[in-house]
Amino acid sequence: MKKIIFSVTDGRGFDIGLVLLPLAFLFVLSGLPLVYNVVMSFQEVDMFSLGSFVRPFVGFKNYVDLFAQPETQPILLNTALFVSASIAGQFIIGFGLALFFWMNFPGASWLRGLFLVSWIMPGLVVGAIWNWILSGDFGVLNFFLRETGVIAGNIFWRSDPNYSLWAVIIANIWLGTSFNMILLSVGLSAIPKDLYEAAELDGATALQRFFTITLPMMRSTIGAIIALGLIFTLQQFDLFAGITSGGPNNSSNVTQYWAWDLSFRQYDFAKGATISVIMIVLVMLASVVYVRSTRHEVRG
Amino acid sequence: MTLQIELNGVNKFYGAYHALKDINLAIEKGTFVALVGPSGCGKSTLLRSLAGLEKITTGEMKIAGERMNDVPPRKRDIAMVFQSYALYPHMTVEQNLTYSLRMRGVKKAEARKAAQEVAATTGLTQLMHRYPRELSGGQRQRVAMSRAIIRHPKAFLFDEPLSNLDAALRVHMRKEIRALHDRLHATSVYVTHDQIEAMTMADHVVVMRDGVIEQQGRPLDLYDRPANRFVAGFIGSPAMNFIPAVVGEGGAHAVLDFGTTRARLALGDLVAPGLTATVGIRPEHMTIVPEGEGSFDIPVGIVESTGSATYIASATRPELTVVETVRGGVRPGDIVGLAVDPMHLHLFDTEGKRIEVEKARSDADASLRRQLAGATSEQVPV
Repeated sequence: MKKIIFSVTDGRGFDIGLVLLPLAFLFVLSGLPLVYNVVMSFQEVDMFSLGSFVRPFVGFKNYVDLFAQPETQPILLNTALFVSASIAGQFIIGFGLALFFWMNFPGASWLRGLFLVSWIMPGLVVGAIWNWILSGDFGVLNFFLRETGVIAGNIFWRSDPNYSLWAVIIANIWLGTSFNMILLSVGLSAIPKDLYEAAELDGATALQRFFTITLPMMRSTIGAIIALGLIFTLQQFDLFAGITSGGPNNSSNVTQYWAWDLSFRQYDFAKGATISVIMIVLVMLASVVYVRSTRHEVRG
Repeated sequence: MTLQIELNGVNKFYGAYHALKDINLAIEKGTFVALVGPSGCGKSTLLRSLAGLEKITTGEMKIAGERMNDVPPRKRDIAMVFQSYALYPHMTVEQNLTYSLRMRGVKKAEARKAAQEVAATTGLTQLMHRYPRELSGGQRQRVAMSRAIIRHPKAFLFDEPLSNLDAALRVHMRKEIRALHDRLHATSVYVTHDQIEAMTMADHVVVMRDGVIEQQGRPLDLYDRPANRFVAGFIGSPAMNFIPAVVGEGGAHAVLDFGTTRARLALGDLVAPGLTATVGIRPEHMTIVPEGEGSFDIPVGIVESTGSATYIASATRPELTVVETVRGGVRPGDIVGLAVDPMHLHLFDTEGKRIEVEKARSDADASLRRQLAGATSEQVPV
C-alpha cells in the first residue's frame, strides 16, 4: 500500500495519472458523443426513443435511405464546391498576402496583425456584416461591380440559387484568409535566408527561387494548412446560419448545416447522425494528412 | 598576370555606420586571398559585396575587368561557400550540385555528367542520392565546395567555411581547399577570423579592422614586418609581447617599463634617443637562460606545456609569454634570464605605427654607433 502511494506521489504512478486525466476528459467529452453518434446512425430514432439508449437496430438502412433522397447528391456536391473553393480562395489570397508582408516594409508586422481581426470575429457577426455587403438592393459589392461595369444589373446574392452558395464562399474566404496568411508567414520566415542567397549566386531568378526554394521548403506548411482548411471549412456552420440558412431550396445547403437541420428542425436524429458519421470519416482523413505533413518537416 | 578582382576606393554605409572605409584591393588571377580580422571588422561585408549580396555605397568594383557595381549576384558568375553551407535541404546531393546548371538551362544528362565528374574529385560519388540532413559536417562541407566547383566561376568566395568543423577536420580541409584551388587555377577570396588559416592557406593576406585594411601582403611579410601594433598582435600565435619603453641615451638600447621595475634591452640598431615607443617581441624570439645571463631577468608566473611546446608566462606587468621547445627546468616563482634576439625586435610609436629602424636612426651619429657597437645590455635596478 505504501508503495502504491509513493508511486502516485513520486514515480510511474504519477506519470500514468498525468496521462489518464486528460484521456478520461477526452473520452467523456469527445469520445462518448462520437461513439453515441455512430451508434445512432445504425438505429431507428424518433422523438419517443430519444431518451433511451436501447433502440431498434436497423443496420445500414439509414445510409441507404439517405442516399436515396433526391437532395443528398446536390448537397454533397455543394459541400465539395464549398470546401474546395473556400480553401483555394483562402490559400491563394493568404499566400499572396504572406509573400507581400514578407517583404518587410515599414509597418508590415503591424498591418499583418490587423488582418487577424477578421479571424477572431464570430461567424454570426461576419455573416451579419456580409449580409449588408451582399444585399441585392443596396449592397456595397453590387455597387462596386456595377460601377466598374462587371455586371449590368444587381445580383441578388443570397436569394438567387445560382449565387447563394458563392455568397457564403466569399464570406468564408474573407474569414479564413488571415489564418492562412499567418501560418504561411511563419513558414516563410522559417526558411533560412542564406538559401536564397546561395540560389541567387547559383543564377536563379526571383521566379525560379520561388518555385525551387520557397514552394518545396513550404511543402509541410502548405500540407498542414490545406488539411486544417478542410477541417475548418467542414465545420463552418455559423456563416450558413447567418447568411442563407442553406436556401433557397437547398441551393446553398451543405452537409454540416443539413445534419443540424435534419436533427434539430426535422427531428430525424438518425439521418442527422448518419451525415455526421460520413463527415467524421472525411475529417479523419484530413487529420491524417495534417499529422503526416507536420511530421515530415524538411529543415536543414 | 591579369587582375581578376579590383576594388578602388570602395565604401559601404549602413545608414550612418561606416562599414567599409576606402577599400583598395587588387587580386591577380589565380591568387588565394585571405581576409582576416576580428569579428565586426568588415571582412564578411567585403566578401558579400564582392558577391553582390550587399551593395557598395561608393567606389568601383571590377571582376575580370568588368564593372560590377550594379550587376545582380546571379550575373556575376561567382561561387560562394557559406559558413552554414546553405545546402538546399529538400534536394539530394546530386540535385544540390546540378542546381546552378539547371537554373541556366543545361540539359539534364549533361548536368548529371558534370555532377558525377565533380563528385569523383571530391569523394561524393557514394553520397549522390543522400539528403543534406543525412550527411556529416565534413561531407556537407564537401557538397558546398562541389556546388561551387561545378560552375567554373570567375572567383570562389569562402565565408568562414571551416568554422563549423572540429579541429582535426579543419586542419585537413585547410589543405584540401588549398590543393583544390591550385588544381583549378582558381581565384579565391577566403574570409576567416583565424590567422593561422589565413597564414597557411593564402598567397596574399589582408588584415582588416573597423572597416579599414590595416595591412596586406604575403603572409610571412606580415609576420616579419607588421605595419602596426594591431597587425603585430593579430598575426602569430601566441601573440606578440608588447612592452612600453623609452629609447635610452645614445639610441642603442631601450628602457622597458614593467611598472615597478625597469629593464634595459639592447636594440638591433640605433634609434632616436628619448623616443617613447612600444617594444614588440614574439614569444618564439626569446629564450630562457640562467639568471643574470640574458638581456634581463624575470620572475616566472605560469608554466603551461603542450608537450611539443612550453609556454612560460612572466609574473610581470605587462605579462610576457615565452615559447620554449625544451621542456622542464622552469617552475613558477623562479627568477630566470631572458635572452632576446635584437634582430627580431619590433618598435611601434605611440600611435601604434611601426618604426622603421633604418629611418629612425638618423639622429645618432656614426661615431656613437661605433662606440656602442659592442655594448651589451645590463640589468638596471630601479
